[in-house]
Amino acid sequence: MDAFHYQHTPNAILENLIMPTFKRTRAAFAYAFLLGGLAAATAAQKPIDFITDIQPILEQNCLECHGPDEAEAEFRVDSRKALLAGGGSGIPTVVAGDIIESYLVEVLREEDDEYRMPQKADPLPEAQIALIEQWIEQGGEIPEDFGDQDAFGGTDLWSMQPVTRPQVPDVSDTANPIDAFVRQALHENGLDFNPRAEPRDLIKRTSVLLTGLLPSAEDIRSFEAASAVDPEKAFESLVDELLESPHFGERWAQHWLDVIRWAETNGSEANLYRKNAWMYRDYVVDAFNDDKPYDEFIREQIAGDQLGVGVATGFLVAGPHVPAATVGREPSAIRQARADRLDEIAQTVGASMMGVTVSCARCHNHKFDPISIKDYYSLTAVFEGIEFGSRYPESTVDGPAQQQEQKLRRELAATRAILAESAGSWQEDWKGWNETFFRPVTTQQVRVTFLSPRASVDELKLFGPDDDELNLALAETGTVAASPERYTDFRGPVENINDGVEGTMNWRTPKGAKFESGDWPWVTFTFPETRTISRIAVSSNRQYFLETDYLSTYQPNSPKDYRVEWMNADGEWVESVSTPDLQDRIKSDDRLAAFSAEVSNAVDAVLGQGPQPSFVGQFIKPAKAHVFHRGSPESPRVEVAPAGLTVLDGDLGLDSATPDAERRLKFANWIADPANPLTARVMVNRIWHHVFGTGIVPTPGDFGFAGALPSHPELLDWMADEFMVPQVAGDDAWSIKSMIKQILLSDAYQQSSKPHEVGLAKDAGAMFLWRFPPRRVEAEVIRDSILLASGKLDASIGGKSYRIHNEKKTYAQWQVVQNHGPDTWRRLLYQERMRRVDDRNFTAFDFPDCGQVRAKRPVSTTPLQALNLMNSPFSVNQAELIAARAAKTHPDDAVKATAELFALILGREPTADELTLSSEVAAASGLNVVSRSLINTNEFAFLP
Amino acid sequence: MNNAEEKISYHARKLLSRRDFFNQAGMAMGGLSLSQLLAADSPTNFSGKSPIRPEISPDDPYSPREPHFEAAAKQVLMIYLPGAISHVDTFDYKPDLIKYHGQKPPGMPAVTFEGPTGNIAKPFWDFKPRGKSGKMVSDLIPNLAEQADDFCFFHSLTTDTSAHPQGENFFNTGFTMEGFPSFGSWVTYALGTANEELPSFVAINDPRGLARSGKNNFGNGFLPAAFQGTDFSAKNPPANLGRPASISPSHDRQAVDLLQRLNAKHLEKYPHDADLAARIASYELAGKMQTSVPDVMNIKGEPDYIHEEYGVSGGSELKGEYAKNCILARRLLEKGVRVVQLFNGSDPSGGNGITNWDSHSDILKTHAMQAEIMDQPTAALINDLKRRGMLDQTLIVWCTEFGRMPFLQANGTGRDHNPETFTSFLAGAGVKPGFSYGKSDDFGFKTAENPVTVYDFNATLLHLMGLDHERLSFYHNGIERRLTHVHGHVVGDVLL
Repeated sequence: MDAFHYQHTPNAILENLIMPTFKRTRAAFAYAFLLGGLAAATAAQKPIDFITDIQPILEQNCLECHGPDEAEAEFRVDSRKALLAGGGSGIPTVVAGDIIESYLVEVLREEDDEYRMPQKADPLPEAQIALIEQWIEQGGEIPEDFGDQDAFGGTDLWSMQPVTRPQVPDVSDTANPIDAFVRQALHENGLDFNPRAEPRDLIKRTSVLLTGLLPSAEDIRSFEAASAVDPEKAFESLVDELLESPHFGERWAQHWLDVIRWAETNGSEANLYRKNAWMYRDYVVDAFNDDKPYDEFIREQIAGDQLGVGVATGFLVAGPHVPAATVGREPSAIRQARADRLDEIAQTVGASMMGVTVSCARCHNHKFDPISIKDYYSLTAVFEGIEFGSRYPESTVDGPAQQQEQKLRRELAATRAILAESAGSWQEDWKGWNETFFRPVTTQQVRVTFLSPRASVDELKLFGPDDDELNLALAETGTVAASPERYTDFRGPVENINDGVEGTMNWRTPKGAKFESGDWPWVTFTFPETRTISRIAVSSNRQYFLETDYLSTYQPNSPKDYRVEWMNADGEWVESVSTPDLQDRIKSDDRLAAFSAEVSNAVDAVLGQGPQPSFVGQFIKPAKAHVFHRGSPESPRVEVAPAGLTVLDGDLGLDSATPDAERRLKFANWIADPANPLTARVMVNRIWHHVFGTGIVPTPGDFGFAGALPSHPELLDWMADEFMVPQVAGDDAWSIKSMIKQILLSDAYQQSSKPHEVGLAKDAGAMFLWRFPPRRVEAEVIRDSILLASGKLDASIGGKSYRIHNEKKTYAQWQVVQNHGPDTWRRLLYQERMRRVDDRNFTAFDFPDCGQVRAKRPVSTTPLQALNLMNSPFSVNQAELIAARAAKTHPDDAVKATAELFALILGREPTADELTLSSEVAAASGLNVVSRSLINTNEFAFLP
Repeated sequence: MNNAEEKISYHARKLLSRRDFFNQAGMAMGGLSLSQLLAADSPTNFSGKSPIRPEISPDDPYSPREPHFEAAAKQVLMIYLPGAISHVDTFDYKPDLIKYHGQKPPGMPAVTFEGPTGNIAKPFWDFKPRGKSGKMVSDLIPNLAEQADDFCFFHSLTTDTSAHPQGENFFNTGFTMEGFPSFGSWVTYALGTANEELPSFVAINDPRGLARSGKNNFGNGFLPAAFQGTDFSAKNPPANLGRPASISPSHDRQAVDLLQRLNAKHLEKYPHDADLAARIASYELAGKMQTSVPDVMNIKGEPDYIHEEYGVSGGSELKGEYAKNCILARRLLEKGVRVVQLFNGSDPSGGNGITNWDSHSDILKTHAMQAEIMDQPTAALINDLKRRGMLDQTLIVWCTEFGRMPFLQANGTGRDHNPETFTSFLAGAGVKPGFSYGKSDDFGFKTAENPVTVYDFNATLLHLMGLDHERLSFYHNGIERRLTHVHGHVVGDVLL
């Protein structure tokens, strides 16, 4: 050791000496203080007076931003109360006699421009800072009568003001309230609505908006006929019919899943598949189909486990996460990864339900919106009890799977009882883990010896006869696991075997080492006091079994050959069971063999027919939450309680001891409360956005200062209020279908999309809605409508997604193996949604990569889209199928068959010109050439 | 709070001038127009500077656009080495490692990314002075070593993570998390391309497959899909580029003709509609790409000496494949492709047992296998660009996600990840040749002088492309997003 001289690296020494004691970023400052500040601080000083010495400094340098005008960061320097309360960081501004704990000194001395105060100005002169320090050293007293303002005086952010129902403007010839608002703004701009759209365009537009599918030629004809009699009545029945279609839920689920970037893989390197995550997708489809009131939809997704719909919490874990194996072994990296996962949850909740960018307050107070860093950590504290992973979703409905499981478990228990009586010991193979039952023994130490050349165990559990759930091996209960160093790989320490963490973090024998009889690897478990045990469960990677699939490299090969011994009062090891011997004994006894087979069948039955685990989140014990200074988990500061946003009365009366379930339910109620001004505004705007292509607030995920302002603020509020308290429709509160219907029954919606010069000149983007703004449809609509045209669409709702990818090794990338065969002929919603994997087909059409929240899909046009839609095997194959369908309808008439292609794909007769042109091509080259062209046309891809 | 107007300052301005704001906004529909809805002067990208938003016409999203200021480089070649190449075994010479070989000095951590640590290990290859500059470079990479006088080294790079996928994300997109636009997509979003018949941004993946962060390394994130990297290599053309086998050339032509005629008729109903026109144009462009991409991929026509220089044959099969990718990279740059990203390594699953630079065990063997593939073709590519005078306007970036540790892992044969200091180099347009910036400490363990963050590095790359990293931004979900988040300083010392 002495041989080393860090002559050139004093920083390394300094860091090693200082960092462990002063983890926070204050380290540098504290160190300087220790070296140089002590002498100065202890010298005799004159008394500092706040009013004459300190207040002028604050007034000159701080008041502009932290005073009556701005109160930035919820902090003011012009009152005693506000100064002592501290700002949004939650850290006290002044701690009497302690300059290290006083945030004021810290921000003045900060070296990083990003965080130093005053912002965008030179640091205060050293003399002034020193003066402030002396004042604090002397007690930091502020006169009682210095100001009386609270630091936080609310906000004038428009979206956070209470929703009040505005008066509907009186506009002539306008009965519909929505039209009244829209028309008033149009009139102010010298514009008015276009005439009513052609019935053909209207049904196409409405079918796509409500179901994502084009209407058939037959549907169009009958709607045209009905419209000729009574256009309004015909349209209303059309809307009613489409809202009742089971495809409505599929279409609107797609929008919701976009926002929360839901996908069926984790993302990151391994991008592992999330087993049964699709159950949450089906929940969303059903919720829209059932017109589940939106407030209930909110509550269930945040706290569905308490409301009998556990599967709804798939919402919370919709975002990406990095699995433990990719995070590495460094404790700081593990803490960072956990903070990142909580941030994903915060982003999901913030962007979808609150319409605010809460994550902007992760490192410092939100730069624009009234959200402090303390708010951010209070919000993530709500979800401290959530972890990314799988569980068996709760259900109040005793579904067939639950009933079946109860029956099967009864059968299993009966067979177990027989085996306990007759054999005393037996083994059960639960695929993801292996269990051995044996006669109860009471001891303080157990030894498990693995009778195999290698061993790898992520978790070993021991249970007693009285409690099926209580794992007595768990380190948390005081049990200590130990194994000789020679049996342990440097990457797989023995602590991993009973840390409660399942998955890739395991105890394992050294890489390359092979053990043999006489030298089998073993692990001991020492209990804090004697325990009675009667069952052991061993797994190599229980997590992969429960949570993922399609890994060629993962077999649930849990160790099954082992010996369990216990230590008696004389300090001798006594064998409880040795599984190879046990198996031999069972095999040699026909009666035992029969019962063992019965147990085995019963286990398989429970695994196969009982409820399945789904990637909808796991519950863990909530850790105490702190503000992480600058977003770093290495710098925890003040403790925070779970809460909503301060500015919106988010105090939920909770603290760090509140159980997970209560935190989430109270928080959900806070969001779903009609008094929360964001909730209804954000959702009605989202609906408007999906109908018209642009929201009244064009930034549907951001209702903050950095977002765009509402084009029709009164209309937005009228709709928000109508959503919560329906007065016009008279339907149930929070009904999404009812709100959609009200919008669709407006003239604004039913007008034509035809452009005209006046409109284009005054408002080219049709923000004021002088026409219905046409737009390109999404990937889903193009693909699903092609399948509809070929007659091959399997329109069944829900269930496991169809696969287009391979089985892969853990750290390989997914490969597309088959993206166009009959197995894939379901709606694109049911294609496994993979983070950042290109499906070589429709991903190119601005399909989200599910990495970041996507309140709004961009619409771009690229040559790769053209190449895919012209040349992909899917397109070529479907063009042939459509051609074959047309030919079958008109086997002997090529011209009629050509016209049929127009009917199938565009839902209309061709014009004479079109028919001539297309028939010539069909005659020369085949109908499939024409159908391939038609699925590529602009008419097919645009919403009229 | 009597002066509410003043308090909300620029927001209030937005409110009060709402009508003007909509008149300006109504330029185009679709995703590209959103940025226009946001006040041009809102300082929401955290830099205090106003964003510069490229004028992107929906019917011609790739048209060349002016940089923010005069650019040193017009094109960029990014050679990315997934897995983290060891700086202390290549370009960052540390004699102390020889001196303290086999010892464990104080201050070295007990646990790093993969677990317990071992002792200091001297470089696995000898270092020698090279070129006029006398730069010490190891024998692991003899061909690149010869060109050291052309390179501008960064020896004090630091990153925020010691995990590969997050590290790749961070280096290529500026964020450790997923879903952010890649460097190449930012550049093409800002600048368009000089040759619209080829994709503006091409990602050439390693013959063994995609790197660990897959498409995220060259994805468009939340930028419009128009700016995503198109991935193809000398071996694999872009997906769905070719005419389907079941369709004859004449049938294919007829289908395209019919499509364009039907679209033309449809457009008559919606005159002035830029989105419809854009889609028509995209089919024309696709048609051109069907010729231009196979042309540029045809490296067989290159003279023998080129194949030889790049090492197409004579080495391992993987080296040959990578060499062909290097030739393709040059041909793409010659044709004016704005950004070429060339990968030398894949995720850990493909290939010959070693698939990237992640040498946790037997670094002597595994780094040597990687170097055999990388060294000669890469050096030939850089040399070829120089010989053709293309370095005048082309920036070369040779980079990796982090470095490796000066000490071994507990297994005694490999080096673990080192995010605290590592080396990359630039060459070509706008950067000082034969120059080294920043220093690591005596062990190559942490930075000692002039630390350069990934933000700084990316800010510098954008600067060389004529782009202000604080002003190049895109509004996404409440934030004017930047490649450099809210950080980054241009490293002025490396600029010519």
